[in-house]
Order: sequence, then structure tokens, then C-alpha cells
Amino acid sequence: MKIPYKWLREFVDLRLSPVEAADRLLNAGIEVAAVTPLAPDVRGVVVGEIEAIERELGESHGHRLLLCRVSTGSQTFSVVSGAPNTKVGVRAAFAPPGAVLPGDRRVETATIRGVPSQGMLCSERELGIGPEHEAGILVLDGDAPLGRDLVAHLGLDDHVLEVEITPNRPDCLSVLGVARELGALTGARLRRPKTVLTESGARARALVRVRIEAPDLCHRFTARVLSGVTVGPSPAWLQARLRAVGLRPISTVVDVTNYVLWELGHPLHAFDYDTVTDVTIVVRRARAGESFTTLDGQTRALDDSMLVIADPRRAIGIAGVMGGANTEVTDATTHVLLESAWFDPVSIRRTARTLGLSTDAAYRFERGADIEALVDASARAAQLIAELAGGAVARGLVDAYPRRRKPRRIRLRMARVARVLGVAPPQAKARAILAGLGLPTRQKGTALEVDVPSFRRDLAIEDDLVEEIIRVWGYDKLPSTLPASAVDVVKHPASLRQAETVRRALVGAGLAEAITHAFSDPARAALLRAPGAPEPLRLVNPLSQDASLLRSHPLEGVLAAVAVNVRRQQPDVAVFEICKTYEAGEGETGAREPRWAAIALTGARAEHAWPTADARADVYDAKGLGEHVLDALGVGRLRPGGPGRLAGFEPDSHGTLATDGGALAAEFGEVAARVREAFGIDVPVFAAAVSLDVAAAAPQPPLRYQALPRFPAVQRDLAFVLGADQPLTAAELEAKLVEAAGPLLRRVTLFDVFRFPDGRRSLAWRLTFQAEDRTLTDDEVNAVQARVTEALKGTFGVTLRSA
Amino acid sequence: MGHPSVDAITQEAREAVAAAQSAAELEQVRVRFLGRQGVLTQLLRSLGTLAPEERPRVGAAANAAKRELEALLDGRLDQALEAERGARRARARLDLTLPGRRPPRGALHPLTRVHDEIVAIFAGLGFSVAEGPEVETDAYNFEALNIPRDHPARDMQDTFYLSESTLLRTHTSPVQIRTMLVQKPPVRIIVPGKVFRRDVADMSHSPMFHQVEGLAVDRAITMGDLKGTLELFAREMFGSKSRTRFRPSFFPFTEPSAEVDVLCFVCQGAGCRLCKQGGWLEILGSGMVHPNVLRNVGYDPEEVTGWAFGMGIERIAILKYGIDDLRLFFDNDLRFLRQFA
Repeated sequence: MKIPYKWLREFVDLRLSPVEAADRLLNAGIEVAAVTPLAPDVRGVVVGEIEAIERELGESHGHRLLLCRVSTGSQTFSVVSGAPNTKVGVRAAFAPPGAVLPGDRRVETATIRGVPSQGMLCSERELGIGPEHEAGILVLDGDAPLGRDLVAHLGLDDHVLEVEITPNRPDCLSVLGVARELGALTGARLRRPKTVLTESGARARALVRVRIEAPDLCHRFTARVLSGVTVGPSPAWLQARLRAVGLRPISTVVDVTNYVLWELGHPLHAFDYDTVTDVTIVVRRARAGESFTTLDGQTRALDDSMLVIADPRRAIGIAGVMGGANTEVTDATTHVLLESAWFDPVSIRRTARTLGLSTDAAYRFERGADIEALVDASARAAQLIAELAGGAVARGLVDAYPRRRKPRRIRLRMARVARVLGVAPPQAKARAILAGLGLPTRQKGTALEVDVPSFRRDLAIEDDLVEEIIRVWGYDKLPSTLPASAVDVVKHPASLRQAETVRRALVGAGLAEAITHAFSDPARAALLRAPGAPEPLRLVNPLSQDASLLRSHPLEGVLAAVAVNVRRQQPDVAVFEICKTYEAGEGETGAREPRWAAIALTGARAEHAWPTADARADVYDAKGLGEHVLDALGVGRLRPGGPGRLAGFEPDSHGTLATDGGALAAEFGEVAARVREAFGIDVPVFAAAVSLDVAAAAPQPPLRYQALPRFPAVQRDLAFVLGADQPLTAAELEAKLVEAAGPLLRRVTLFDVFRFPDGRRSLAWRLTFQAEDRTLTDDEVNAVQARVTEALKGTFGVTLRSA
Repeated sequence: MGHPSVDAITQEAREAVAAAQSAAELEQVRVRFLGRQGVLTQLLRSLGTLAPEERPRVGAAANAAKRELEALLDGRLDQALEAERGARRARARLDLTLPGRRPPRGALHPLTRVHDEIVAIFAGLGFSVAEGPEVETDAYNFEALNIPRDHPARDMQDTFYLSESTLLRTHTSPVQIRTMLVQKPPVRIIVPGKVFRRDVADMSHSPMFHQVEGLAVDRAITMGDLKGTLELFAREMFGSKSRTRFRPSFFPFTEPSAEVDVLCFVCQGAGCRLCKQGGWLEILGSGMVHPNVLRNVGYDPEEVTGWAFGMGIERIAILKYGIDDLRLFFDNDLRFLRQFA
């Protein structure tokens, strides 16, 4: 919210620069995003009068070019103007040669159509103080002093504070509110705007009736009536103020309601009195199916949760949000009905959100307006309208106030202040601070009793007052202490330690850690969804369609990371992510969040390693990393698992790892071409997904020392040849081999795989034999070797590869 | 004088040693004279055939010759081996400027590094880590934290909903509630985790980011303790010279509330691009746990007080490493990630 500093100083005497004031506010909880000069770039522009139009110079861009004589009182200039509102006798913004306009544009004598133009008459936009340009030059009041500096004349020699008000402080959403805050902070006295309202003629009560049919949503509604009003443009000073705070001047009546909104913080609405049927205001819920055209020309569908201002025939405004086209104040309006009311914040908020209509009025009502101050706002607006648009203010205020505000008192113990803060000011200081904020206090027993004024709806409990005291006293008064000694042994959850272990293992293996968004694209998710898998969780209000689901496949993130890198000329990628997937589940959140270690590889196995530069990552790297992760997590005993559950792998390159207990702990393989293509990857990608939940649940045998062998081991290398079409796996062969070898076999390691040109395969194992109680003889080992060879030959028909 | 034949043998052996060109030839000399069938060995073995009075003299001479020859051979052999090794190495001609064969170097994500640092600092202060779900109920994420439905404070956190009553948590604060509901005071936890806000990704916004929540509840916890703890944190995280500023703010679940800024380390408060001319950088929000929140979990606000804070891990990482675009964290470009290896 923009607060011009001069406006602020009308209400409070500040001996601070705008920047110093901003700093005080910041240290009291009101952030000031910026302090900017109002018209930083305009120099030398003055009030000028068009004394005469000397001749026409032809047309340019559809406008007549006129040669004018412009006077600044002491001097006259010959100036060409193409503005449609160029008229003799008009006073306007005039930039003589030497003046500077925004963008460091220096005004010189220019030659237009062969005629020298000594300076220029300026539009709002050319001066950088508003958007208007088509309508022509900025016309000033007829009594604007000739030759006066325009910036000073319009009050633009000012700074604007851009304040950011937190939702608990609607009382600060006005110039007066911020002034009150600064008064409390500096000790300066608050000067409320003087309202000298002259009422005359009929009593308002005789001119308008107000009936509140929904007192739960409208606690108070007041009306005033003005007659004999002449609606026209507002004076320059008022327009300038509105522009300075970012509002567009419209007409006197509307501008005054906006001005008072900004000044006092209370939203008002002006109706054209003569359009209100039976001059009766009915505050009621909208009817289901009722439609209504708001001031912005939009027709809106209302429902019965919304509050409307109506006359006996129809709605004439959406309460607290926006008025209606049917009762809008226009240039033809002569009688004005001025509303100043209080509406229920929740109702206003719901209505504004449902209709997608956010207005300055709704913004304040939904945060809580001041139910008492609305009377002052009404009087202030009536006075200003009468001053600026003429007319008489009818006597009295029609005030329907069915839900009177109950006074609120809060007990405050200084001991509580010290308990919460660790420090407390002397009681007298605390009382002075509260008084400065407009909170009278009384001693009551050992405690204070504090009256909460109507504008501080945020103050409800004792600790709220504790905050007020320290906020004004200064957070720099808080001591810097540490909580009393530790309470318990620091213990982190197993999942955190597990994640740390996985990270250490994979970073140690050369992978980079990725962190990706948890959102998913339905098209990709469909590709990655296994038949029968549960529906992914869907966001009700996604940012975009391609991020409308929650991730349901653990590899989505790492595939996205691979895609980014491959696209950016980094063909060798080895990344992992510790991530969650999301699926429907039991319990209060309705979701389960399984945890995974996801791994993806593409390109060279190790970048720039000169002896093996050509080694490409393949499916066994993915498998090995999956095993590595599980091994690091203490799940070292693994076997091939059953069929995988994750979609997205090439069917012939999709393997699984199961724990000793048979639980599916990891899946790995080559990512299916159509899946990686959906991510925009045109090279093979190998991936593994390790279930951290399964790993955590796997039994972890306690670490026990085993005695080192005392007798030497014997090693034998055996290679077996498998037929070209034999559907045998290494695991099957090895299992049989281990079984046949018996207890003397200590270790078996596959060390070579070879494919003959005719398609036969050779698999070679290194077998390590050892006994606990003796040195093995050649004969013993030969016997075992013969047994193994026989068993494999007998069972599978594979033979030893001859030397 | 030695035995004539011993002398002859010795002389011959000396010449043979001198003539040998390599370790292999020296070995042949050893075999010829000292081997099982060697000349000296034979001589010593045949001592028994000599006249008894000759034996001591010849024996002594032969043994002396054997010792001399052994010493001579050992010396030459060492030289020869050394020379041969040298020649071999010279032939191999190692080019030590070739790149070393390094194991592949992985990289922790910068957010993980900062996360780990934060966790370590607070673990040192007696804070244990707690975790909670990312899909949350409206009740835990908002209502229990004193943010009723239809309250403008909800505008402070634009929310992704999964249903009327469930959502993606907008902060890690619901874990405060979950923890206090199952644990009696004292409580001292930090809660790292992902949070979600309905913001379009740009340089300074992200629909998903990471927070660390801190919560301390006990019989005598004060706002001074909050200030002291967070000042200590800032010194640990940003260096012992870092300065912090506490200023009032508003959060529905704390009262009083405070925002904490650190003095801009680029300009030392003078104003620069990083701090947007303000001289200070906002790092976290905090405050004394609102009595309504304590009551919501069954604690008595007259018995216990507490404080809480929440900071963005990205924000800390941005300040610590000088990163200028939030999106870099989630692009996972290896050239970015490897800078934090």
C-alpha cells in the first residue's frame, strides 16, 4: 500500500526523514518495501496558461496542430500543441526549454512544421505521473498560480512509502493507521482529520430507510444523503493524491470515497439516490440463481451465501465487494446516498474469492474494518463531497446497528511479559507504550486491565499485548540467551540416517545427487504406470496441466535430470535422488509416501578415464549400484526377485533384487525407449529404483566377528560352455554349483563371460576352497571339482570349457 | 700362501665374476663355483680324501675362498640388479604428466549440504530431527496452527489442495503439532523437509522448496532464548562476524512473532544488489508458540512456553553460495551440482 509522506504528516508531527520513518516502521513490524520520490524525474515544469491560439499548422496523427501563446506570468512562449483539449484560457502543465521530463528528456526549442516551438504542453504520461495521454494535456485548476513549479503545485515533491501490512493489522491499511503507528513509535501526537460537517434540510431518516435482514453478516449499516450535487472532475490536488497512491481519478463523488478509504481505511460506497427504488435499502443474502451486473460491467452469478445491498426490487451492490451498474453515480447524478457499513470478514472473503473479485474494499472488510470509525468516515466523505461537488448534506445519519460491538478488556500481568520475553520494561513504560497505541490501561490488583479499541481487532489475548509492548519498546531490548541445558539424548529418525548412508554410498561411487519437483505430467505418468497400479494423486488446483499429478514412479525425477543434462551437451550422466512417490492410502492424510533411492545412468561409465574411455554404462552398472545401495544399508544378501512391479523398463532388460526374506527391494533395467523419448532423451538410459522402506524393514543381522581362517585356501577357475539356445541363467548354474560343491567352497565369483561366434556362451567362476581344520590336499579339491563338473553336466548338460 | 689348487680356483672365480655381464651370468658363476656341483663345493666335499695333515690347511683356504667369492658375488649381484632395474625403468619411460586415474567423484546436492549443516548445528544444541508427511490435512497444516478457514492469513501461503481436507503441506510446521500431540514437554526438535506453495517457478519462487522448522517447548523458554539461539545459528552458518537483526512480524501460530535478518555480507549493510539496497537479508520467521497452538495439542500455556522458527533451506543456500536463481536447484545440471562436490 502506497502512503505519501506529506499526507502522513498531516496527521502526525514527524521530525524524521521518510527513510528514517520507514526504518522505525520496519522495526515495529510494518515492512516498508520501498521509499521512492513521487516525481523523481520532472524538473522545471511550471503552470502555464494558453493565452491565445495563433494559428493552425495542419494535422498530425489525426490531431490538429495548433500554435499557441503560453504565458507563465513573467514570460510568454510560442508553443505547438496537438492535444485535443488545447483551449484558450486553460492552465496546464508547461515544460519551457530547459525543463527535464522522465527518462532524462531535456525539452528544447524544436521546429515543427517550420515553426519554432518553445517547449511543450505535457500530458500526464509525458510527466510520468499517470497513464493519461490521449485526452491531451494535463489541465490544472483555473486558479493555479502561473509560473509555479508543477511538482510543488501538485504536491509531487514528496516521497511515497510502499508499506506491506500483515493480515492481522487492517487498522494500518490507511494513512491515519500508519500515522497512529508512527505516533506511538515516536511519541508524537496524532492529529485526526478535522471534519466540520454542515448539515441542512431534511433529516436523512426521512429520506432513506435501511433494513438489515442478515444481521449475522452485516453488524452495522449507516446511510447519509446529499442533495444538489454536481458531479464533475475532482480538483487537481485530489487527483494528484489518488494518482500518487495508484488510483485512477474518476469523478468527485467516487474520488472522495476512494480518498477517504485511503485516508481513514474505511470503504464507502456512493449510490445514485434517485435510482434506488422506494429509497429503501435492504441488506440481505442473495437469492440462489440471482444475477447481478457490477460496476465493471460484468454480470455475475450470486448464491445465497453472499450478502447484497438491495432495494425492495433488486440487488444494487455486492456488500463490501463492489457496487452495481444499476445505481452507479454518473455525471447526471444530483442526489447521493452514501453507505458506510460493517460486514462479516469471512462472508466478504468467501464472496470475493468465489467471484474472483478482489477490490480495495473487500481487502479491508475481509481483514476486519473498524465498526466504530465508520461513522467518522461517512462524515468525512460527506463533508468533502459537499465541498467539492456542492450540495447539501441531509441532517443526521441513518444508523442500523443490530450487533453492537462488545467492549473488550484484556488482563495483563507484567510477570507474563517477563516470562514470555525473558525481559520486561518497568510497568510505567509498558503503560505508556500501550497508551501511545490507543490502549488505555488501569491497575487492577496486581495486574493491568487494558481496553482494546475497536480498530484493534487483532488483540485478543494477553500475549498479544506482550507483543505490542516489545514491538514498540524494541526487539533490540530482548536478551540473547540459550535455553536451559539439553533435555534428552539427540536422536534422529532411522529414515534420516538411512538417507545419509545412501547418499554417502552413491556419492562415493561417483554419482551426483539430484533434487526434483514432486509433480508429474499425466502423459508421462500414464507411460510409467504399470497395469493395475493405483491412480496417481491429483491436485485440485495445479499450476499447469503438465504438473497436475503427484509423482507415482520413483524414476521420474532422475529421468528429468538426465534429460536436462543430455540436452545441454553433457552426454555422461550418473545421478541419483532420494525421493518419495505418492499414492492413495489409508489414514488421515489419505496418502502413502513410499521412499526410494532412484538411480539413472547414461553415456560413458567414467568421464575422461583414458585407459577405458569407451566403457559405456550398461544395465549391470544399474544393477550393481542397486546392490551397492542395499549392501550399504546392511541388506547384503540378495537374490533375483520375482517379476518387477514398476513399468518403464525394456521387457528384456528389467530385473529385480529381493532380500533374503523374499521382499522385492530393488528393480533395475534399461529404461524403455518410448519412456525416455517422452522425456526427450534419445540415448539409452539405465536405471535402478531401490525401495528404502523395504530395505529398512529387512532383518539386519547384528555385526559379529568371525575368526580368520588358519589354513591356506586353494583356488580353482572353472569355465562352463552353454549351448547357443540354452535358456539358462548364471544364477541357476551358480546355485547348482554351490550346492554340488558342498561346505569346502568358501567363495564363488563369476569373473568372465564370453560369447563364441556360434552363439555359445562361456561362464567362468573362480572357486575358493578352504577348510577350518586342515590344509586341503589337491586330491580333496580335485574330488570336489569333479563333483561340480558332473553335477552341472548331469543337470544342465553344460561342459567344462577345454583349455 | 694358500693351497695351490684353491688359489687357482679362486683366481679363476674372480675372473669369472669380473667377466659376468648380468645378474643371470653372475648366477651362472655362483652355480659353477658354489652350487651343489660347484668347483669349490666339490673341493670342500673331497677334503676327506686328503692326507690328514693337509686337511686343516686346505679346508681353511677353501672356506676362505668360498667366503670371498660369496661376498664378491653378492656385491656384484646387487649392482647388476640395480643396473637392470634402472635400465628397465628407463625403457618404460613413464610420462607422469598423463592424468591420474581418479575414482569417479560424486556430488551431494547443495541443498543437502546446507541441510546437513543446519541439522548438525542444532544437534549440537540438543535438537533431534523429526519428520512428517508431505501430504497433510488441512487440520494440521492450518487449523491446529491457529489459521482458520477463510482467514486472510491463508493468503500468505497459496496452497495446493488434493481434496477439501487434504493438501500439500505449505510449511513444516504441522510436524510441530504431530510431535507435541505424542510427546510431553520438554520438546526440542528440528524438522527438515519439502514444502509446497502454489507459486509459478521463477528466479525467486518455486512451487516446491525445503524448510527447516525448529521447536523448543519447556517450562521456562523465553523469546530471549529464541534470539540467542538464532544468533548462534547465524554465526555458525554464516561466520562469527555475521550480525543479525530481529524485527516484529506476524505469523498466526506465534505471538510475539519475529523475522530475522542477517547483515548483507556482500555490502556489509551499505546496500547492494543482493540485499536489494536494504543492507539486510531476511533468513527466517520465528516467534513464541501461540497459546492457542499449545492448547490445541493439550499443553497448558500457563505451564509451558515455547518458540518456533522456520527457515528456507534454499534461501540459506542462496545466501551462502551466492546462487542467483532458485530454478538451478531443481534443474540438476551437472555443471551446477559438481560445484558442490
